Amino acid sequence: MSKIFAGLVAAVMLMPVGARAQGAIEVMHHWVAESEIEALSVIRKGVEAKGFQWKDSAVGGMSGANVQQALRARLTAGDPPGAMQFLGWEGVQWAEQNVVRDLNDQAKAGGWRNALPPQLLPFLTAQETFIAAPINMHRQNWVWANKKIFDDAGIPIPKSWPELIQAGRKLKERGVIPLAMGDESWQVEVIFDALLADLNGPEFYRKTAIDLDPKALGSREMVKVFDMLREVRGLVDANFVGRDWAVATGMVINGQAAMQVMGDWAKGEFLAKGLKPNKDFYCFPTPAPVTSFQYLIDSFGMFKVKDPAVQKAQIALAETVMDPAIQKRFNLIKGSIPARTDVPVDEFDDCAKLAFKDRAEAIAKGGMIGAMTHGFASRPEFAAVFGDVAGQFFVGTMSSDEAVKMLVQGIENAR
Amino acid sequence: MNASRQSSRLAAWLPRLVVAPSLLIVLVTVYLFIAWTGVISVTSSKFVPVYDFVGLEQFARLWATPRWHIAVENLFIFSTLFLAISIGLGLLMAILLDQHVRAEGFLRAVYLYPMALSFIVTGTAWKWVLNPGLGIQKVVNDLGWATFRFDWIADPQMAIYTVVIAGVWQSSGFAMAIFLAGLRGIDNSVIKAAQIEGASLPLIYRQIIIPMLRPAMLSVVVLLSYIAIKSFDLVLALTNGGPGAATELPSTFMFSATFRRNQMGVGAASAVMMLMTVAAIIVPYLYSELRERNNG
Amino acid sequence: MAEAISTLPSPSPAPGSGRVTKTDETPRYNRAWIGRLFIYATLIAMAAAYLMPLWVMVTTSLKPLEEIYGGSFIGFPQNFTLDAWRVAWSQACIGTECTGLKPYFVNSLLIVIPAVVLSTGIGAINGYILTKWRFPGANLVFGLLLFGCFLPYQAILIPMARTLSLIGLAGSIPGLILVHVSYGICFTTLFFRNYFVTLPDDLTKAALVDGAGFFRIFWSIILPTSIPIIVVSCIWQFTQIWNDFLFGVSFTSGAHSPITVALNNIVNVTTGRKQYNIDMAAAMIAGIPTLLVYIVAGRYFVRGLTAGAVKG
Repeated sequence: MSKIFAGLVAAVMLMPVGARAQGAIEVMHHWVAESEIEALSVIRKGVEAKGFQWKDSAVGGMSGANVQQALRARLTAGDPPGAMQFLGWEGVQWAEQNVVRDLNDQAKAGGWRNALPPQLLPFLTAQETFIAAPINMHRQNWVWANKKIFDDAGIPIPKSWPELIQAGRKLKERGVIPLAMGDESWQVEVIFDALLADLNGPEFYRKTAIDLDPKALGSREMVKVFDMLREVRGLVDANFVGRDWAVATGMVINGQAAMQVMGDWAKGEFLAKGLKPNKDFYCFPTPAPVTSFQYLIDSFGMFKVKDPAVQKAQIALAETVMDPAIQKRFNLIKGSIPARTDVPVDEFDDCAKLAFKDRAEAIAKGGMIGAMTHGFASRPEFAAVFGDVAGQFFVGTMSSDEAVKMLVQGIENAR
Repeated sequence: MNASRQSSRLAAWLPRLVVAPSLLIVLVTVYLFIAWTGVISVTSSKFVPVYDFVGLEQFARLWATPRWHIAVENLFIFSTLFLAISIGLGLLMAILLDQHVRAEGFLRAVYLYPMALSFIVTGTAWKWVLNPGLGIQKVVNDLGWATFRFDWIADPQMAIYTVVIAGVWQSSGFAMAIFLAGLRGIDNSVIKAAQIEGASLPLIYRQIIIPMLRPAMLSVVVLLSYIAIKSFDLVLALTNGGPGAATELPSTFMFSATFRRNQMGVGAASAVMMLMTVAAIIVPYLYSELRERNNG
Repeated sequence: MAEAISTLPSPSPAPGSGRVTKTDETPRYNRAWIGRLFIYATLIAMAAAYLMPLWVMVTTSLKPLEEIYGGSFIGFPQNFTLDAWRVAWSQACIGTECTGLKPYFVNSLLIVIPAVVLSTGIGAINGYILTKWRFPGANLVFGLLLFGCFLPYQAILIPMARTLSLIGLAGSIPGLILVHVSYGICFTTLFFRNYFVTLPDDLTKAALVDGAGFFRIFWSIILPTSIPIIVVSCIWQFTQIWNDFLFGVSFTSGAHSPITVALNNIVNVTTGRKQYNIDMAAAMIAGIPTLLVYIVAGRYFVRGLTAGAVKG
């Protein structure tokens, strides 16, 4: 018995400690859903086609908090992975710690600056230095609707939130759940983000969610946002607790519910059922006088490592990610649109085409805003306060004035 | 303790030498790390550790965070109820199991198995069972009792009690096992004597047996307190702190402050608060216990 | 509480406890059948309640996904299938590696077995020293170890990562074993110390007079009497380490990860559709070793907790 143990212990001790094969790159990410993995495999195959080995380190869950924790332990130990998938300010924050490799040579050679929407640069550069390569762009402020329910009830696509609420009430009378969602804070926040920009314009969104201007945060406009959020609560059924967003999407698909406010990752659920945009389901931006485009991007950053083989693999990965053909294939699977603006749109579906069109408009007219829920507005310590307040407001009985007060104090406390 | 003369020197030092590595490991991995956490709690650390000094600013920030107040209140509610109910149920199960029942082994395994499973595993199942539209409420409603309501998990005021339910489910079997062991250790001649004197069974249990379980009771309290203070997976899997922040606990607060909100200093401050609470409870008991043994 | 600490799973010499073992020959009490009915009804009702989540997990793992999304969350499967189990074991994707749980299951065994053996062994010898070879300051040592049980692990991840890298064990299975052993010692020492404290000192004293040394006494006198507490210690450590996620996700990565990390990756999908049947099957697979340990060793568990009182 003890021999077996001894052998086992010896076997464990002999296992390579962070072994690195020639030209292998470890990529850390939090993509664990089926479609996410399938999309990521496009990049993986691209890197492997260039003759490098891909070592996968996936850590899912907690909206990326798990992978953040794992990464922090790795960097503290001085053993960073070759590459990491970044959301929001993560890349920039690591760059501030001087652990991220610069990709300027690749960016210059690849003409990244001209190929990307300028609004993304704050998340991809630190002091004029490119520190991450973006693969895609999701839009968060979509409404997904069951076309048959809308048509049967004779409801047109709403042009404003009051119209949407009206439509919802009508649907409720017909025995349909107007809005499918779960009670998770982030799902509430998706709606909150949309309301912030839709009711008061993208400028207000910038002043509050990005600049954290105390006056705007405590303004009447903010109270209006919470008032409307309370109206939205009235459109949701009582069993929304612990409901995953995909289950909510399923409710729209099978006709239990009429609408869902969710990012374009929800589209995959419809497409997987063989449903077609504008034929079986509607996709339209959250209604507003000035349509905004609330984006989130996934990018890959490379950590500084000594091994030249890994350094070469990092370059290969960055080039693969920025390859227009790869971006097209990746995004056809993932449901998002390419981060690059020069990828041909022909093969994408109607919803994605609408996204391309809206994005071009938003870039021109100032409607491009980062999605706070996913970390593309203020830094996490502040964005979390918005999430706290919106989440607690939505499930509880707090008044709008109380919510605004809590928001202002929370932001002050986090400064 | 004295050994033979030649080796008395060695004998005196050998035990200390053998225990030294353990002590060293614990000094580093427990006490040095606690000290580090203490240091971080008085710095302005956000995303990564920085080593400046800002006094008690992070503690002030911590106590000005409504979420932390919810967490502290919840810990109090949760641990009190969790302990009380687990002990009550555990004791009941142990007493009933001790009545020479058939299939004792099977029943014991059924009560114990939740302890074996991680909440990463059982959280989803519990979510469904507690969900008013899917679980218990729906089943009872479908059976014909249409007005039956069990929607605590959806109610910010009640959600913490669902965490208690799931926690009790997981740990009461463990309490049962220790109580059962305690009961098996009791000499039944005492009970026989009481019976001969005409005492009724409930009376025997209340007056004789349960008081004799005191050591087991105290073991249960220690282990369950440990579980209560460390509850983390339980909350994450069941409610993820929601609805709103209704089921936040200090352990989940600490994690999200450090890894989700870039408030490492606040996270460290909350860890220090937790450690101080634990120390305030444990150290006096430890002290009195070890003194007693020295004297005795 | 003071006594609690000393009588954790220990041979509890309750005041007044005698040396007589209970025997089954005489039912202790004559009770009416109503009483029996009450006992069985309560026990069975509680067993049903305890089994409910397991029921949900098992039935869900046997349903096709469409049936679940069609609204059947609780209830018997209509289209019984074992596919989810097969996928979870050998095909499910953890990131872009679609290997199922199989390799991670092996990782977990490679972590758990040495960690349980080492921490139990160290705990045994510590307990032996702290009771039979008491030295000045032994109580302080014990107190220091005991307090370690209550450390909130979320707080020490970063210094631990730094320490592991200083000794060259970052990101490896041996590193993770070391972490588990470090924090396991606190519990195992407690278990053994409280068990040994009730063993009569005469035993060791006599052996000393006979010329047996420190290790000899441990091996041939102390250890053979401590099978019950070894079982308790192993069960506790096995459960804690097998179910650990926090350390696993922090101190290993990729192909070295333990099963809980892989399970988390299967279960914790945020922007994708949850495959509940595979989630549940994966969860059951991940839980099987601990379940087995409890079912097989469960009887020894209660026996281990009881043993001392019987022996005195």
